[in-house]
Amino acid sequence: MTTTVPMPAPEMTVGRQGHYAGAVSRLVAFAVDVGASWGLYTLGVELLNVAIRLFSGHNFTLTNHQLAGFITLTLWLFFYFTYQWSVSGKTLGMAIFGIQVVTKQGASIRTTQAARRTIGLAITLFLTLGIGFIGIVYQKERRALDDLIAGTAVVYDWDARAARLRWIARKDGPATHSGGSQPS
Amino acid sequence: MSGRRVSNPIGTRVEQLAQSLAERIVPLIVDSIDIDAILDKVDINKIVERVDIEAVVERVDIDKIVGDIDIEKIVERIDIQKIIERVDINAIVDEIDIDALVEHTELGSIIARSTTGVVTEILDVIRAQGVGLDDFIWRWGNRLIGRGRRIRRWPEGPPLLVAPKATTP
Repeated sequence: MTTTVPMPAPEMTVGRQGHYAGAVSRLVAFAVDVGASWGLYTLGVELLNVAIRLFSGHNFTLTNHQLAGFITLTLWLFFYFTYQWSVSGKTLGMAIFGIQVVTKQGASIRTTQAARRTIGLAITLFLTLGIGFIGIVYQKERRALDDLIAGTAVVYDWDARAARLRWIARKDGPATHSGGSQPS
Repeated sequence: MSGRRVSNPIGTRVEQLAQSLAERIVPLIVDSIDIDAILDKVDINKIVERVDIEAVVERVDIDKIVGDIDIEKIVERIDIQKIIERVDINAIVDEIDIDALVEHTELGSIIARSTTGVVTEILDVIRAQGVGLDDFIWRWGNRLIGRGRRIRRWPEGPPLLVAPKATTP
């Protein structure tokens, strides 16, 4: 595959493992997670509807039961985020963008912290209407409100050096790596 | 005539006199000689030119010398561990230009073949672009509120993952 988008200069990416992750990576990763969790939820609900229809013969649709649907969705989202964070410190979206949740000191987070962070995320989204995310840009350790609630931080965990070597090694790599898109 | 030997007192005295004269004169002569001046006059190159080095080397039996050396005994006396401990591997690795190495050797294509898939390449680019945009937002966001310089002293990561920055007075 030909890579036409130049990579940023090596000093910007190489050696960034463990550094606090920034707003764009985190918010886009979150958007991916919202899409993934919603897609999986929709798929699950459809499978549930089909299963109930097959076994009971009744035409059941979860979306017709608003309270049940709300509770199921809430529980699903809680499980989606808490489980993934407690297992590996990253969700699907975070894995794609190479970021990870760690404790404030940099260790792996516990399940209780993962649960607190999920609740904190809901508070940041719905109670502060997203204003709690501003800490990613203006807080010293780039921690949003959910991080402050859970005692966590988000760091880059992808191996940028290996990525750069792969990029150089590509057949057409050296022709396009003259400095990259250096933001001013 | 009988073989009886008669000592000559005059001869003995002369010998003693000559001896004492020599003892006094020789140091005086040696002291008066300027060895450095003599050495300055010696043309070492000319002497070396006259030596047939090849003939000397031909006469040396290298095989015999090498055969006499107990290599194992020498190796046993070398403390390899101590030598390894004194080698600064990190400094050597730092000196290596990995990028150039990958670019100019087969190593690059080996890495590419073994690790690069379409998904990996896409992820590399997405992540790298993400990091670039993160920095852009971070820098300009703080510059807008007048914290452009202060953020340089802020920690780059959690203490367990990133060494703290050296603070300037």
